[in-house]
Amino acid sequence: MVSDRSPMRPTREPRVTLDDLVEVLLNKGAVLHLDLIVAVADIPLIGVSVRAAVAGMETMLEYGMMRHWDEATRAWAERSVARRALDLREGERVLSRMAGGHLLTGGVYHGWRPGTVYLTDQRLVVLRDEPREILWQAELDAVRQVRLKPERTVGGEERLRLEVALADGRRELLSAREPETLHDLLSRSGAGRLAPTAAGEEPAVAEGHLWYEEPRRSGPLWRGGRARLTASRLTWKSPVDARPALVLPLTDLAEVGRAPGYGPAGEGSVLVLRTGAGDELRVAADDPARWVRWLESARPVAAAG
Amino acid sequence: MTQDTALYVYALLPGRPDAADGVTGLDGRPLRLVAVPGTGVTALVHDAAPEPFQGDDDRVRRWVAQQSEAVTTVWERTGSLLPMTFNVLVADDPATGRSAEQRLGEWIREQADDVENQLRALAGRCELRVEIALDRAAVAGQAGPAEAGDETRLSPGMRRLLAKQREQREKNAAGRLADTLHADLRRRLLSVAEDLRDRGTTGGADETAVLSASLLVRQEDVDAVGLVLSEAQARRPALRIRFLGPWPPYSFAEIRPREQTENAVS
Repeated sequence: MVSDRSPMRPTREPRVTLDDLVEVLLNKGAVLHLDLIVAVADIPLIGVSVRAAVAGMETMLEYGMMRHWDEATRAWAERSVARRALDLREGERVLSRMAGGHLLTGGVYHGWRPGTVYLTDQRLVVLRDEPREILWQAELDAVRQVRLKPERTVGGEERLRLEVALADGRRELLSAREPETLHDLLSRSGAGRLAPTAAGEEPAVAEGHLWYEEPRRSGPLWRGGRARLTASRLTWKSPVDARPALVLPLTDLAEVGRAPGYGPAGEGSVLVLRTGAGDELRVAADDPARWVRWLESARPVAAAG
Repeated sequence: MTQDTALYVYALLPGRPDAADGVTGLDGRPLRLVAVPGTGVTALVHDAAPEPFQGDDDRVRRWVAQQSEAVTTVWERTGSLLPMTFNVLVADDPATGRSAEQRLGEWIREQADDVENQLRALAGRCELRVEIALDRAAVAGQAGPAEAGDETRLSPGMRRLLAKQREQREKNAAGRLADTLHADLRRRLLSVAEDLRDRGTTGGADETAVLSASLLVRQEDVDAVGLVLSEAQARRPALRIRFLGPWPPYSFAEIRPREQTENAVS
């Protein structure tokens, strides 16, 4: 759209932006993975990375090992630890937290991503520590089954992994420092109940993992996330975004087709959704045929001609 | 009395000898550059005692403002730098007799390829912050008239229930609208920005958060982002838009940790 409107100008007036800067500088951004040394109040943490040092302090704080430290040092350490923690929702409570990781599969990257596993009374989260980012999460009411699964590591030893089966049929593999403990807690916290529909939300016709090829200035990017198809629209949301990056009213969906070649979910996994305006959106599914069926049957009949 | 045997590190930048001239940092300390021979990288530092800066919130806020101002000034001179977070200190190591400067230099030499690549990738780019929310009252007005009917004859309990249901309907309608607006705005912003990090939404009580993100933008495209926002505002006056920056690329300065593997868990 061409416009003669004048562009909005950004501000960095300190009175307006200081809170944002404090948040950026203390919590996020500006994170370099420096294995540098911070000497805390004459206790030299020599040869220890900042990340490791802070992780160590976390443990020490938990076990009260820092009570002999002076108050100021303790307060600093507590602040450093707090900024690495999971952002809780209103009323959400952490049941357990331990070192762990999530096995990323299906995409270009395949491998374990280490972090901290949080079990709250609402969800199961794997949080990367630095920079802080949710690597994977699932609502507890979407968890259908949890089981321990032995796996042989490259080093030849066997470790227990936690296999989490989700309502949409996906199975995710997590590692955890104490897999049995986590398994017990998860089983007891009632994972496996059927999800109640949120009040007033349109019921889903289909729901599941889907890749979306997000158009970007620097070239399109395949992103993994959850798709939700209702009687009126298709939405797709990445777990790292607050809201869906794709909202397609079904009245706008003119045609659903398959694209030849490879997608992130393998050969022939790519679907092309043509909009009424002639735009093409690309998504990829592990079960493309099923999504074509769902989308075709949800599409308004009038548009089918 | 503790001696200034450590370095407080503000940023890493391409070597340029005069970039820190006249710039002061925390509590007015003069900043200087530490060049790392064998690399094209210098570090922006001041000498400090080997202990973190700590104090009450107001003091920390003041320091943050000072750090940001110093880093921004140097960034505008060099066009590229990797800003550090608050309280990054390198101490000397009495055990091996290495000074803080030597240790920092060693670290930078080890990471030089990564650092130089990052500096090149971020050259000429800035960070912008965009916060967009929907004024819920204004949306409720558009969502259609409230059910007609004389509520005055109803019991107070019934009226409360109806009011609650109405509020829930408004919230749901605003949420659905916010989803649609978010998808559209995200697409438009990504057509001009090079990268976007969702920051999670934090709407006020009377608003519904639409999008909160840090953008990585070429300096010459700042106005293009501004145009996306002013057009969005014109199309929908109920949007509340905050547009902050340009800042050094705080949220995009990141050096991939090497070999982060499952071993970290074992």
